[in-house]
Amino acid sequence: MATEELPSEFDVVILGTGLAESVAAAAFSRVGQKVLHLDRRSYYAANWASFSFNALLTWVQQQQEEPQPHEIQDWSSLLEEGEELIYLSQSDSASIRNVQVFCFASEEDEEEAPDTTEEEDSADPQGEAEEEASHKEGEEPEPPLPLPPPAQSQSESAQTLPPPAQSQSEPEPAQTLPPPAQSQSEPPQTLPPPAQSQSEPEPAQTLPPPAQSQSEPPQTLPPPAQSQSEPEPPQTLPPPAQSQSEPSKKKISYAHLVREGRRFNIDLVSKLMFSRGSLVDLLIKSNVSRYAEFKNVTRILTYRQGRVEQVPCSRSDVFASRQLSVVEKRKLMRFLTSCAEETEEQRAYNGRPYLEFLSDQKLGDNLQHFLLHSIAMVTEATPTEQGLAATRHFLRCLGRYGNTPFLFPVYGLGEIPQCFCRMCAVFGGIYCLRHSVSCLLLDTHSNRCKAVIDSRGQRISCSHVVLEEGFVGAERKRSSTPPRFLSRAVLITDGSILPTDSEQQVSLVTVPPAAGGPAVKMVELSPSTMTCSAGTYLVHLTCPSVGSAHQDLSPLVTSMFRTPESPDHDGPSVLWCLFFNMADGSGVEAEGHDLPENVHLSSGPDAELGHEHAVRQAESIFQKILPEEEFCPPAPNPEDIIYDGDTDGDTGDTYGDTDGDTGDAVNTGDAVNTGDAVNTGDAVNTGDAVNTGDAVNTGDAVNTGDAVNTGDAVNTGDAVNTGDAVNTGDAVNTGDAVNTGDAVNTGDAVNTDGDKTSPGEEEEERRAVSEE
Amino acid sequence: MSMEDYDYLFKIVLIGNAGVGKTCLVRRFTQGLFPPGQGATIGVDFMIKTVEIKGEKVKLQIWDTAGQERFRSITQSYYRSANALILTYDITCEDSFRCLPEWLREIEQYANTTVVTILVGNKIDLSEKREVLRQRAEDFAESQSMLYLETSAKESDNVEKLFLDLACELIREAKQNKLDNNDNAPMPGEGKAISYLTCCNIN
Repeated sequence: MATEELPSEFDVVILGTGLAESVAAAAFSRVGQKVLHLDRRSYYAANWASFSFNALLTWVQQQQEEPQPHEIQDWSSLLEEGEELIYLSQSDSASIRNVQVFCFASEEDEEEAPDTTEEEDSADPQGEAEEEASHKEGEEPEPPLPLPPPAQSQSESAQTLPPPAQSQSEPEPAQTLPPPAQSQSEPPQTLPPPAQSQSEPEPAQTLPPPAQSQSEPPQTLPPPAQSQSEPEPPQTLPPPAQSQSEPSKKKISYAHLVREGRRFNIDLVSKLMFSRGSLVDLLIKSNVSRYAEFKNVTRILTYRQGRVEQVPCSRSDVFASRQLSVVEKRKLMRFLTSCAEETEEQRAYNGRPYLEFLSDQKLGDNLQHFLLHSIAMVTEATPTEQGLAATRHFLRCLGRYGNTPFLFPVYGLGEIPQCFCRMCAVFGGIYCLRHSVSCLLLDTHSNRCKAVIDSRGQRISCSHVVLEEGFVGAERKRSSTPPRFLSRAVLITDGSILPTDSEQQVSLVTVPPAAGGPAVKMVELSPSTMTCSAGTYLVHLTCPSVGSAHQDLSPLVTSMFRTPESPDHDGPSVLWCLFFNMADGSGVEAEGHDLPENVHLSSGPDAELGHEHAVRQAESIFQKILPEEEFCPPAPNPEDIIYDGDTDGDTGDTYGDTDGDTGDAVNTGDAVNTGDAVNTGDAVNTGDAVNTGDAVNTGDAVNTGDAVNTGDAVNTGDAVNTGDAVNTGDAVNTGDAVNTGDAVNTGDAVNTDGDKTSPGEEEEERRAVSEE
Repeated sequence: MSMEDYDYLFKIVLIGNAGVGKTCLVRRFTQGLFPPGQGATIGVDFMIKTVEIKGEKVKLQIWDTAGQERFRSITQSYYRSANALILTYDITCEDSFRCLPEWLREIEQYANTTVVTILVGNKIDLSEKREVLRQRAEDFAESQSMLYLETSAKESDNVEKLFLDLACELIREAKQNKLDNNDNAPMPGEGKAISYLTCCNIN
């Protein structure tokens, strides 16, 4: 089937499936443009990809392979009068380097017979040899282990990705997977099978008559400390077998990681979604959010003086904090309240460091540290106005979904570009991985690219081209600054950096700069995010590069975790880790390259925590090409599409009133459901959900946005709402209902079972209202 | 909009080579249409149909590939959280049958481990052009612990049965997982369609 020819005419050809390209693809396709979206890789999302453990090992191997000399095919025979070829770079030689892998877990399960060959074993001797050759710094990072590490391959100079011909050699992770029978025998399944959640009994039957006496669910307010506990439903899952503190816990072996490999979704980039950031807004606006689920980041930690501490950032955190004195609490609250609006006093500090402003507030060291490094996340030199702006952004995001300003997509960040690709495909975009463009075909008169020639020599005409910058040779690029890099480390550990009762914490850890180095952002993911297997945690570290990733980050790893270099550390053990450097996409200029005017460059991930850079890029490319069109208008809800039942064999569809949009015969309506919303699985809504019909949920419903329901809401599972919930109909809940925001119910609310807790963080001000 | 309510909602995902009739199966089932007309699915993410199984209303949300299978480029996220997969091939096209192991690898990699998979040989209306013997497909399905069914979207043969049996199976699994009393679990053939309209509307 891969031999089928591509269509030969498109409006926009897009190369690369990273976030910026994928958002652009969805935006173009959505307004009726014909989009061809290609990636030379065998996987989606480019440097934004997530991999299973086994696929990541394959990726590592690919990075370490010697680049194959790319044979440039001569397509000049395809030229017509007045045309010229611009050859594109066929290997992404610059974006990933210094890939190093260390395995500290024992090779095999103790009780298991040794497996035969692991794929990585063969690479081992070579990797070590390379390491000897390339390690310049005096310290050897990995001391000998009780057992030889299975995947200890390194190369300081794996600069190049294999050329596209190579990418045919799929990182097909399936091959390295263990037989399914084996993996199923593992008791702690972290993937909550959706089938289970389907199994709720019939909500209609549990509908009791509206009983007025029970109608104030969230008024029984527990102490604020409650809000620390995770609102997510996976809480109810059996906890992973291991617990932090017990020394007797079963060691996780490398073989176990491989066997559980598909449970991992390991991101190449580490970012979070600001809950009022441009990506979340775009996901909601475009309805792309329906393809993904999200988790709240549950806490913000900081690493200071060798200790991990929780940063109190929401009101409830502040009240609950045990490390702050009463005076500090008051000061912090006053500060957070006062910086919501710009004041004369603040303006006086414009241009002067934020640190100076903070220290003049006489907040004390503790608070100053939190505010500078964990809340504003800026450096000591950052000007006050920027520091305040960052603080305000943080605070604005805080209230929306939960205890922290951040969300993380279930299954990893690599899902997000794919979701936009799906949206593009749904509106007719054509997708082809493992497929590249060899050259652009330039019309010498107009200086416009009129077509591209793909890797098979097919000529595909187009009006615009969007190119991931890796496709453009350095000689054509204008870069005012030398290329910057990020240093990345990915660790698989056997415990949380700050264990709590809940094993489902998702943490952002801010590490202030030490000894002139850069500040490090660390994200610790638990199995609840579906990015790592039960009993493990996935830790991502990111900082702007000073040296190689290993040089930049391994000292921190050693000081925060137990590794062979820090065998007496009482923190979690590192089982496996990966270091690499990735090009910093923010270094690429949008304009001024030696390219035809209808060829648009996009770049890879930047160093920031959020996604603003990529979204901004996509939007600006879109607006340059189609200034009149709306960027990612909401896609219609399939349930709102009205088909008329005509059977005369033609296209047969008429849709609801088209509100004059882009020529697709679909009524986009608004992003609101006015019908019946029924969900029998786990419903996680992190957007604003507005439902004006009947909402029935028979699974666990988690809403972390504002939920407005004006019909009857029935929930027979656990309902967790961390935003504002307004219900003007009858609400019936037969499970546990937890609300941490404002709940207003103007109808009958019945809770027939279990606990209703409302750890509303602002319990003094916010009260549940129930008026019959 | 009617105040329709139901007891279960399942996400069913179709996969298989391009041209085997996936979209036709969905459109035949949800709308009773054939041929569905190619451009018609533009902008439609999934189709909905509510069926009744032993008195319980089951809403099926049926997702199509959006054409991404054409060049072997289905996103992983497409498989996430599917309750059932309909793996389709064309009985008149040996090649579409031979690609099944590749599809199974994708399923193993990306789909939930508890997903229910059914193998469907479509286009039995073209039996004179059959290239894949029924026995062969049945054996293959059995070896992979899949259900198997042959259909014709054109003649509407077995199309309802396909989705209704799948719904029964999903309910049974759901009830088993709940450790419910299994006596109530429906057997294949106990389902019936409620409406050809994808949603209630003011037609």
